[in-house]
Amino acid sequence: MAAVNEERIQATEQLRRDLEVLTATVEHPNGLCMVTASPKGEIRALHLHPALLQQGAQAVGEVVTETVRLATNAAVQTSFNKMALALGDGIAIDVESIAGDSPFRSTWNPVVPPKPAAGDAPPERRPRTPIVDDPDEDAFFENPFGRR
Amino acid sequence: MDDDVERAARKVRDVEQAVAQHVERSGPVTGRASSPDGAVTVIATPGGPPQQITVSAAALRMGPHGLAAEIMRVAEKAQRAASSRLHQTLERVVDPRELTELGFTREQDEDEFGWRR
Repeated sequence: MAAVNEERIQATEQLRRDLEVLTATVEHPNGLCMVTASPKGEIRALHLHPALLQQGAQAVGEVVTETVRLATNAAVQTSFNKMALALGDGIAIDVESIAGDSPFRSTWNPVVPPKPAAGDAPPERRPRTPIVDDPDEDAFFENPFGRR
Repeated sequence: MDDDVERAARKVRDVEQAVAQHVERSGPVTGRASSPDGAVTVIATPGGPPQQITVSAAALRMGPHGLAAEIMRVAEKAQRAASSRLHQTLERVVDPRELTELGFTREQDEDEFGWRR
């Protein structure tokens, strides 16, 4: 029992150190803003695409605010995942019962996708992905028969 | 172990209730900071992401790098102000040492336009 407790104390201590430096990086769905944030909502890095500035001051404010929120949620979710890994799902569920749901549960798909125009039926088939010269992983999975 | 969690949960609920009643009277706790020229204004929450980031039209001339750096600077200052306000609001219902340990430090410099750092 003592050994189990000792292990648990060590795991908690390690977890505390991990969580202190934990951040998450998220790109806004429009691809014009990237934020690295801590679970406490601190902005550790912020990258603005020049095209975002061309959309005007209001757009910059809104997109940055939203991206920081998404990055913070991602960091909180990562914390929950790390906690569940280190201390077990039971403790993670206990913490959720005290601190509230993890972002994965409470804000799943937080960005509202753009609404398709009225009467705009979805296409029957997705257009074929063009073959890329220098395929990265994503391109490979989208097009497994491409040259490689 | 379950008893500990149960006890902790009960304590959290009690404090939560005291805090909720207090915040109900004082309104939501936020911190606000602006650039000296008003280029960037951030309304921050304690321990969470900024509630609102506003950028002036003139700020766009700073370019993407300059503007990003300014937003980060002002956001940090706003969050410090929010933490400090939370500390001040809650120190009557929660042990101030615990608030500081949680990262909600009380600052002497509460002046929004004091650029001493």
